[in-house]
Amino acid sequence: MHISEGVLSAPALIGGASAAAAGIGFGIKKIKDEDLPKVAVLSSALFVASLIHIPLGPASVHLILNGLAGLILGWSVFPALFLALLLQAILFQFGGLTTLGVNTLTMGLPAILCFYLFSKSMRSKSDVLAIISGFLTGVLGVFLASILVALFLVTTGEAFLNVAKLVIIAHIPVMILEGIITSFIIVVIKKIRPEILGGVE
Amino acid sequence: MIEERFSKGDSIIHKLDPRIKIIYAFLFSIIMAVSANPLVLTSGFVFSLALVFLARLEFKEILKRLFLVNIFILLLWLILPLSVPGKLLFSIWKLHITQEGIIYAFQITVRCNTIVLAIIAFLSTSSILNLTYALKSLRIPDKMVYLFFLIYRYIFTLLKEYRRLENALKIRGFIPKTSLQTYRVYAYLTGTLLIRSYDRAEQIYRAMLCRGFTGKFWVLNKNSFKKTDILSIGIFGIYITLLLFLQWMKSS
Amino acid sequence: MDEVLVNLKNITFGYPSRPKLLKDLNFTFHKGERIGLTGHNGSGKTTLLHIIMGLLKPFDGEIEIFGKARKNEEDFREVRKRIGLLFQNSDDQLFCPSVYEEIAFAPLNFGKSKEEIKRVVRRILNLVGLEGLEKMPPYHLSGGEKRRLALGTVLAMEPEILLLDEPTLELDEDGVQKLMDILRKPHFSYIVVSQDINFLKKVTDSIHIINDGKIKKYNS
Ligand SMILES: Nc1ncnc2c1ncn2[C@@H]1O[C@H](COP(=O)(O)OP(=O)(O)O)[C@@H](O)[C@H]1O
Ligand SMILES: [Mg+2]
Repeated sequence: MHISEGVLSAPALIGGASAAAAGIGFGIKKIKDEDLPKVAVLSSALFVASLIHIPLGPASVHLILNGLAGLILGWSVFPALFLALLLQAILFQFGGLTTLGVNTLTMGLPAILCFYLFSKSMRSKSDVLAIISGFLTGVLGVFLASILVALFLVTTGEAFLNVAKLVIIAHIPVMILEGIITSFIIVVIKKIRPEILGGVE
Repeated sequence: MIEERFSKGDSIIHKLDPRIKIIYAFLFSIIMAVSANPLVLTSGFVFSLALVFLARLEFKEILKRLFLVNIFILLLWLILPLSVPGKLLFSIWKLHITQEGIIYAFQITVRCNTIVLAIIAFLSTSSILNLTYALKSLRIPDKMVYLFFLIYRYIFTLLKEYRRLENALKIRGFIPKTSLQTYRVYAYLTGTLLIRSYDRAEQIYRAMLCRGFTGKFWVLNKNSFKKTDILSIGIFGIYITLLLFLQWMKSS
Repeated sequence: MDEVLVNLKNITFGYPSRPKLLKDLNFTFHKGERIGLTGHNGSGKTTLLHIIMGLLKPFDGEIEIFGKARKNEEDFREVRKRIGLLFQNSDDQLFCPSVYEEIAFAPLNFGKSKEEIKRVVRRILNLVGLEGLEKMPPYHLSGGEKRRLALGTVLAMEPEILLLDEPTLELDEDGVQKLMDILRKPHFSYIVVSQDINFLKKVTDSIHIINDGKIKKYNS
């Protein structure tokens, strides 16, 4: 999910960029040298996973997985998202340059929130708790991201109110899909490599 | 999908130093993104179109990229002309279309396409490898540069791995549907990919240790300016000044 | 008898929440030896090589390398300088932007001068047959080329012992031939892990097998 170039006002772009910069700076500082390959390769994997198209009714959607990214990467999710978005802009012109900050923020904030809310329950013995937290991670990640996108649109101009509503509504099916798939993913990972869930620390 | 379609070529644009191309790309995009001045936007659009033309890129591919970008813009065209208050142009049924709304949507369209064209011309005409070197010599922090490179580098390996997993499923007759079973399979695929990546990262770190890694990332390539680079700085500098002047005239 | 380079005594190791993989394993490796190591998938061959390099720490047992007991990270730093490990998967070992930087990575870390490194890179490119590719990003190389480059990065450190983990994977006949030529240089001591007994017979003097957590002599 991202906002295209040319849409947002200068204050929205600047606000987004400054907040994202803070997150990126903090995230990069927290990455220890020995964790760099981990952050990088897991980010590559999340990038690849987000290219997959999944059937949903008559159409197909691609996964966003920002909530899961938060659980796995912790604070390094900010630099990871930023660089993934930069790569997307260069390789297939999704998103853009001046929107990098805003787009990093709209996906990164829900991600880090999911990290703080749910990484504890990933470590618990109970599978049910992990499955429920996984579902919520998927739903909240997308839901909050769409809310943030909507907020950025509305601060740019009231004319965007309808667009903003549409963005949120259009993402409802995606939220549910992400919830289901994220909880399944959590089950697989928890069984084989539980240490992946809980942030690169 | 991740091949660098536009990075190969020997046009003037391809040959420019990636460091200055990065700077141009950001400067130009920022000016375009915040300007509402029709002169600035029009000239910007023509400028980036000219750049793409100079870069002699595959026309069909460019159109394909622009098409995808404009899908979201199309949505705005369906809504904005109806929701921006202003002078009524005409009404269809109960929908009132305003002049301001049309202008606004048009502005956004031009801005977006201009910036996308500029990204293609300035950034996509360099390989990620050369952009990595450029970021390094622009003094972006080492860890950031290396992370950028590594993410890109392992996308290659993991895409291959993903295709292998996917093919194994196809061979066993997997047909994606809107069903819980399909979602479970995709989750299994993604989970497996993540687990293998995690293990791979561990191996990579061990390989680094084996080769004496002590926390320093070596990126060696040294760029040097050529005559055309310096010339381009002159041209781009004048053009940017002109844009800023136009912008300032309008707002004062 | 020649000088003992590697001596493993009663090594026990297992991965978290898994049955023990290596049990009371003993192994001695002498200067000038050329040993083949085989064993079925998952028998612990890779694990053993990583224990020798100090990348995995055994639960129990003693490791003596180059005549010194090796326990902590500091001890193994020297070991890694003098023993070169070719990883089972080349993609794990190739993490630099270009072929040139890939070969230069270790020499740079060990403080070699730029001039020296240039020479090393040229020599290695020639040795593994990758001349002219120094500016290529490693991820654009073919499987066989990656394998040879990975070997080159190891040889660039001029190790006293080579540990090769399934080196023939992804190599075509020609590549295997080239590898054998490189290995035939007389001064090398090495341990080669492979499932291909015929290959091992050609490049080694004796073959061992890992089975049920222990190393034994292999008799065909
Ligand atoms: N990081 C790890 N965590 C858990 N199990 C592992 C890990 N690495 C390897 N194993 C397991 O240990 C066993 C031995 O692995 P390995 O030493 O790679 O065997 P070989 O090289 O002989 O095929 C395998 O069953 C493998 O799945
Ligand atoms: Mg192995």
